[in-house]
Amino acid sequence: MTSGSDAALTRRSGVAAALLLWAFPAAAQAQHFGLEQLMAELRQVKSATGRFVEHKDLHMLDKPVEASGTLIYLAPDQMQKITISPRWERLAVRQSTLTIEQEGKSRSFSLADRPEIGAFVESIRATLAGDLATLDRFYTVTLTGDAADWHLSLVPKGQKLQDLVKDIRIGGSGRSIRTVETEEADGDRSVMRIVEEDIR
Amino acid sequence: MTRPRLVLALWLAALVACAAIVARSEISTDLSAFLPRSPSPAQQVLVDQVREGAVSRLLLLAVEGAPADALATLSRTLATRLGREPALASVHNGADTALDAERDFLWRHRYVLSPDVVPARFTASGLHDALRHDQELLTSGLAPLLKRSLPGDPTGEMLTIIDAFQGETPPHSRSGLWFSPDDSRALLMVETRAAGFDIDAQQQALARIDDAFDAARQETPGAAAARLLVTGPGVFAVHTRATTQQDAERLSLIAAVLIAGLLLAVYRSPRLLALGLSPVLCGALAGFAAVGLRFGFVHGITLGFGVTLMGESVDYAIYLFAQTAPATTPAATLARIWPTLFLGALTSVAGFSAMLFSSFTGFAQLGLFSITGLLVALAATRWLLPALLPHGFAAVEARLFARLPLMLMRHGRRLRLPVLALLLAAAALLASHRGGFWQDDLSSLSPIPTQNQQLDRALRHDIGAPDVRYLVVTTAASEEAALEASERVSDRLRAMTGDRLISGFDAPDRYLPSAAAQRARQAALPDDATLRRRLQEALAGLDFRADLFAPFLVDVAAARQAPPLQRRDVPPRLALKLGSLLLERGSRWTAVLPLRGVAQPQRVAQGIAALGDVGSVFVDLKAESDHLLRDYQREAVLLALIGSLVILVLLALGLRSPVRVLLVVAPLAASVLLTVALLTAGGGKLSIFNLVGLLLIVAVGSNYCLFFERQRHQAGEAERTVASLVLANLCTVIGFGVLSFSRIPVLHDIGLTVAAGTLLSLFLGAVLSAPGGVPVAAGVASASRRPAP
Repeated sequence: MTSGSDAALTRRSGVAAALLLWAFPAAAQAQHFGLEQLMAELRQVKSATGRFVEHKDLHMLDKPVEASGTLIYLAPDQMQKITISPRWERLAVRQSTLTIEQEGKSRSFSLADRPEIGAFVESIRATLAGDLATLDRFYTVTLTGDAADWHLSLVPKGQKLQDLVKDIRIGGSGRSIRTVETEEADGDRSVMRIVEEDIR
Repeated sequence: MTRPRLVLALWLAALVACAAIVARSEISTDLSAFLPRSPSPAQQVLVDQVREGAVSRLLLLAVEGAPADALATLSRTLATRLGREPALASVHNGADTALDAERDFLWRHRYVLSPDVVPARFTASGLHDALRHDQELLTSGLAPLLKRSLPGDPTGEMLTIIDAFQGETPPHSRSGLWFSPDDSRALLMVETRAAGFDIDAQQQALARIDDAFDAARQETPGAAAARLLVTGPGVFAVHTRATTQQDAERLSLIAAVLIAGLLLAVYRSPRLLALGLSPVLCGALAGFAAVGLRFGFVHGITLGFGVTLMGESVDYAIYLFAQTAPATTPAATLARIWPTLFLGALTSVAGFSAMLFSSFTGFAQLGLFSITGLLVALAATRWLLPALLPHGFAAVEARLFARLPLMLMRHGRRLRLPVLALLLAAAALLASHRGGFWQDDLSSLSPIPTQNQQLDRALRHDIGAPDVRYLVVTTAASEEAALEASERVSDRLRAMTGDRLISGFDAPDRYLPSAAAQRARQAALPDDATLRRRLQEALAGLDFRADLFAPFLVDVAAARQAPPLQRRDVPPRLALKLGSLLLERGSRWTAVLPLRGVAQPQRVAQGIAALGDVGSVFVDLKAESDHLLRDYQREAVLLALIGSLVILVLLALGLRSPVRVLLVVAPLAASVLLTVALLTAGGGKLSIFNLVGLLLIVAVGSNYCLFFERQRHQAGEAERTVASLVLANLCTVIGFGVLSFSRIPVLHDIGLTVAAGTLLSLFLGAVLSAPGGVPVAAGVASASRRPAP
């Protein structure tokens, strides 16, 4: 590519940026950061992949456990969590079905049939999808922080869910999710940190 | 008493006796009478599955035509209402509410239900392996599902049991309810208490479902436009019976009115019409009584269709009435036409007698019905009608009908060449036919409209319920032996699941293990002290909290002492499953193991055969149903051939001359050839019903040809004879032609075949059998014996 066309490209994107500013003045100014706005931002994401490291404290075990692998999200409702260490496994969610593959075995569940696993899956997927209606149906949602460092707290509404989950805290920056912390009713805790590699 | 009166009195007495038998006979509508009587064990399974299997009781319901949220509410309301219906064994709409009893049962009895309970699993090293695996699972995605049960079930027996239940992908769901993938239909699955072939009960169940839907729709806001779709074997059975009844009633009525109208126009006397129909009525009554006596019940189809089959007995009176010239007596006519009439009726009887040996009870009944009916109608024509005909009986004028055939007869010799050309063309057409003459799919005989079959496929696809095609079936002398055999097969199938030859299977021993297996599993559990010691040893080197597995010790101790699990302990939903997989027939017990996702049927079959279990067979239902169809076809062909042979022998005995036999048979063979060519033109295929129709062409057409042939020897009265034949044929063409408009394959196929074939045999008989013409082949033979006319 020649330098002449590079210059043209720069000029053109400058014009485009000016047009955008004119069309969406809100985006140009700092504005009060709300749930609606965060969800709208998250809805822009069509796909995202990232590496995760998960640290778990389980009441049945004397020692904490660590796992790591890759997360893949495809809007609006597909999600995969591929654990590489300590053992390979893949959790895949598509529509209302969860498939867990490990040790050469594949098991499928209907999320609705398995609230003990559905609760976690739905909370993360609905957040990724910017689906406030679904989050609202199951959790009391509160947002703190600003666009650059936001914290979402999900506390279950129904008794059935409360018997399983105490709360879920999701933290992020802009359109990216950085941490997912869960505390279960039986005292098990997990903290998952995500380093995003690709977001579109 | 004069002789006619004596005849009349005897006749009436016989009729009263028949009526008495008929009054005590039961009329059945069970369609399985048209399934074979003596199938192979594999076919018996197919028939049983179709008749009574769990599959036959399953109805798929879909609610559509409203927004998804309204459909969800409607689905819940409908499920609640249906749950209260006594006619339904179970109702599912995806909401996971009623499974608690089943889960509890599986959990409580996990140590006798799990096939993994073997001594090695409860040694220190076996336990260590299990615990290490548990620790891995605890850190995996499955953890939330296992956590609660882990302290009581470290060896994972519940997971083993649940894994075995794991089917294909569960149906798509929305708000916790089953929906089609595009959310346009809410789906429900309903199991009726009655078998799919108990049509009355199915009809009632369907009516209750409709009522429940109407009520649920009124309760649900925003669902006013919602529609209910129902599919399943029960719906098909009810639908088929309704169409059969409608078609049979409507078409029989149309045919009866047309035939009576025609005869009335010709006879110009209601009394003659009544007399003319009386042999048929007597014959039908006698046929009904004979079937009732022989089988104990009469099938609805036998009754409706039998009258059509013996419809040629209307012809007997027509021959008598139309061939009686003015100033002669019916008795004189009878004396003249009797030998021909008798031989004609006998050939028909011979044709129908083939059906007596059919392995379908329904066809055997039809055969008996029509044979008895024809013989009685013949006797009525011979002895009753002359006694009842009015003195000074006015001859019937029907010469108009005779014109065309008489013309054909006159030009018979000249027409031989065109007829021969036509036959050659037909033969060429048949020779060029590609892809086999037979319909090779049982569903082609199915009376279920394509539209309904498509709906069924669509809903099945939506709910992810593929048709079961492969089964392993094992039979034994007792329930225990059948369960033990099922366990041997299950072991092999589990290995095959591991090797990915199949993706899964269901088995009766999953719900109720044999007593032997239960004892063995209990014996595999160590006593409390031993287990404690081994557990302690096994926990070494792992990260589990010390006292975590106390519930495990308690549960194992309890399981060792538990009384054996029996059939009555199984909770209702699982009991229903068990009932459909473990069947008692007579003194034999059959275990059925349906397979899922069979990748290599050949290797699975070999694996089952390698078990060396005599009672266990691998069954491919599709192949079996294809076999069944081929067996039916082979039987139909064989019976038709035997029928034709018997007819030939009869004609040879009756006519005592090979040439005369040829003169009668040639036009019949030609008609059959032309009819087959017509039916299969353009790639069409024949059904076994078409074949029955071909036999009927021979049975009815032989009458015409016999009368035509007789013209060679008894000249005179040609016009009256031919007119009577045309009139008789018109009645047949009307009767069967109307049937060809039926939506039901059996009625349509036979109707079309017989209407076309008998019409052809009338004209070909006029050309080939009658004195004007000489069949090509016979021309040489007869020319050598006598001078050409």
